Amino acid sequence: MDGTANGSLSELPDEMFSIIQSTAHTLSPRLARLSLPGRRIIDTPHYLANTSRGVVPHITQDTFRRDTSIAGVYVALEDFIERAPRKVPPLYQFKPSDGASPLRKFVALQDDALLVLGARRTPPVIAPAANSNTDTTVSICTAVGFRQMKVDDYAEEAEELKPDILVGLGDVPYGRVLGNKRVERATDRMIQWMQEHVALRDERKDGHQAKLFAPLLPVECVKQQFYADCLAEELAKDISGLALYDLSTLEDIPESLAHLPRLGFTEPKTPHEVLQQVALGLDILTVPFIGAATDAGIALDFTFPSRQILNGSGPQPLGVDMWSAEHAVDLSPLSKDCQCYACSNHHRAYLQHLLSAKEMLGWVILQIHNHHTMDLFFAGIRQSIARNSLDEDVHAFSKAYESQLPEKTGQGPRVRGYQYKAEGPGESKKNAVAFKHAMNDGKEKLAEATPPAEDVDAEDLEIKGFAEKEEL
Amino acid sequence: MPEQDDMVPRPLPSALTFELASRCSTTKARAATLHLPHGPVQLPMFMPVATQASLKGLTPKQLEETSCRLCLNNTYHLGLKPGQKTLDIIGGAHKLQSWPHNILTDSGGFQMVSLLKLAQVTEEGVRFLSPHDGTPMLLTPEHSISLQNSIGSDIIMQLDDVIATTSPDHERIKEAMHRSVRWLDRCIEAHKKPDSQNLFCIIQGGLDLDLRRECCREMVARDTPGIAIGGLSGGEAKTEFCKVVDTCTGLLPTHKPRYVMGVGYPEDILVSVALGADMFDCVWPTRTARFGNAITDSGCFNLRHASYAEDFGPIEQGCKCICCKPDSEGGLGITRAYIHHTAAKETVGAHLLSMHNVHYLLNLMRRVREAIVEDRYPEFLRTHFKKLYSDNPPTWAVDALRGVGVDLLG
Repeated sequence: MDGTANGSLSELPDEMFSIIQSTAHTLSPRLARLSLPGRRIIDTPHYLANTSRGVVPHITQDTFRRDTSIAGVYVALEDFIERAPRKVPPLYQFKPSDGASPLRKFVALQDDALLVLGARRTPPVIAPAANSNTDTTVSICTAVGFRQMKVDDYAEEAEELKPDILVGLGDVPYGRVLGNKRVERATDRMIQWMQEHVALRDERKDGHQAKLFAPLLPVECVKQQFYADCLAEELAKDISGLALYDLSTLEDIPESLAHLPRLGFTEPKTPHEVLQQVALGLDILTVPFIGAATDAGIALDFTFPSRQILNGSGPQPLGVDMWSAEHAVDLSPLSKDCQCYACSNHHRAYLQHLLSAKEMLGWVILQIHNHHTMDLFFAGIRQSIARNSLDEDVHAFSKAYESQLPEKTGQGPRVRGYQYKAEGPGESKKNAVAFKHAMNDGKEKLAEATPPAEDVDAEDLEIKGFAEKEEL
Repeated sequence: MPEQDDMVPRPLPSALTFELASRCSTTKARAATLHLPHGPVQLPMFMPVATQASLKGLTPKQLEETSCRLCLNNTYHLGLKPGQKTLDIIGGAHKLQSWPHNILTDSGGFQMVSLLKLAQVTEEGVRFLSPHDGTPMLLTPEHSISLQNSIGSDIIMQLDDVIATTSPDHERIKEAMHRSVRWLDRCIEAHKKPDSQNLFCIIQGGLDLDLRRECCREMVARDTPGIAIGGLSGGEAKTEFCKVVDTCTGLLPTHKPRYVMGVGYPEDILVSVALGADMFDCVWPTRTARFGNAITDSGCFNLRHASYAEDFGPIEQGCKCICCKPDSEGGLGITRAYIHHTAAKETVGAHLLSMHNVHYLLNLMRRVREAIVEDRYPEFLRTHFKKLYSDNPPTWAVDALRGVGVDLLG
């Protein structure tokens, strides 16, 4: 088993999740295979692409199908329900004729890609109130601000959307450390919420049902013992996996839950952290830094196991800042030997041009490349585990590459309201003012884009041969 | 390439052939095939505008899939970014954007005059202040052609003296027309790659039909591979616009492509085709997509409107674009509700609509061509205007089409 089965369609899987290789230790990497009916087989460890409003940002659905190999996506329900409960969200009214998943059809997701649905984006925008959840509601952030979502509504509506995997609702205190009291209360809530959710599933019992993943609190299992016991005993036959929000939870996962796939909402910041989390036994990861690198104009550039030969030059950067003018006439691919659509069709010079001209295609190309890099990275991880060489390979990787992704130097795409929390008065502008010159008084309709001239001085213009300076 | 005859005083070399396929027996519409350095294109045609060497978020593959084989780049923008030197090193705009098909570039003058408040036109060229530091600069016809030579576009445009057709200053309009003719000569002289790039002249003369006639005569005599009618997207009355197009096409040789610059809306294009024009470009389909507008046979709809939030039909029923086709036919099955969901919130919403809108325009032209070839263009016009305007077609269109034998009200 070397992880090469990835991508082939599953043939009558007898088990959704089969562990292929693991050790007795809780905190150790493992190889497994996730097969859901009608979906590609996913060998794990692997990652899910993050989405916003149902799409991997920048990547249209046809490009997703044709030019990426993304195996699965994570979708947040909060991206779809800004009108609830005052008005029934459109998505809930959508009933595809063939009984297919309304969510999959609505976002036009490729048929064989894995669709995982949860309540909140990852990373979520953190709710302003300290105690944002109640016994019956959870705070979510929609395009029109924070809302309270009823726990029963979530269970009912999310089931209706028929994702492949549904992450149950947790009382997850994003961005805050939990005191003992709060953990206790959260444990009680989660037990009740999961019981109710399972009861609802029992009532519905229709043909297709999503696999239910139970969220765990971001603390050690021993601190949420009652809940863990409930999952392992009472709800054992209803739970198909675990969703984890902190690495500490991995430390003492009880034997009785060890067979379940572990989906991480652990926000790794670098490939090194991905490796660390895999080494601790996470199976499926969400990796927000892929999209963050894209928006920052950075082409991820690393391989695992590292092919870098240490030649005294020190650790290599994990990515290339494509804003840099040094790429202006560089006709080489974003990353050497890369076979992705972006690298086989375009070169650094074009990408640098697109970024500095703020053309949206720049981010499309980067997003394709960065996801491809991640596909290969995880394939490398699986092979390394299969060879039992993960420890050495991780060590070599940490020597070969810098510890952090390169700093962002250029400007990203426009930031939207649902992507950050307002910090109150005096907050700096998230988006640069588009026009500040006298050259645009209602006439911009004449041009498809802002003239890129603002940061170009006369010398440049002359050097570029655009025009010549006049002698006065 | 046409045969060169040393005895004839320097006919301009051409890198295109124009093959007339059919002519409408009622209107002045024509169907043709234009063979360009990067492949043939069918006329009449619409050309989407990839201002800065990319069509608003679409990959070249996606643009290709809309059936586009000729798109525009703007010389003004490419001259600033990435700049001539970079273009020379890279080897031109086709290589820059990995576009294997044809490219047309404008001269840069139009953007200059319309975007830079302080631009001033003199006999030498366009004088302007650097937007960055205010240094006085000069763009000449020679600069423009040299830049377009570096870009390597299949069709290049002369630098012309552009002023608004709505300008009340008749003397200035006259001066601009004559200057454009003089600048055409300088452009022809400066053009270094006539064997691989086709220089088009641009007919000027405002709304004065006599000036337009004079300009046509002068420019046709210069024998450029193609001819553009310029200065017509500046907000003049449509009746005037139609008169200018009609007058010019009447004086232009049959065997050369005629390009009406910066036009436009579907109905403008349909009428211009009837008046004998072949090529059109406009930023509107992609620009309007970014505001959530979908172009269809029954008009333009803003899908951001709340009424579309729960509309689970395709953007346009029966449309064969990748977005609208159901997945059973290999499409994406995108609904209006989904566009509503993403419009102005995720760029993908705009990309999807851009694909639909560009496909719409290109497909409209395909239908137009078919109608011309089958000699039923008058009927096509009547049906199409009926769909758009029911029984109240705009007066300008009624008048213009009546002039070429089509009665929209009949």
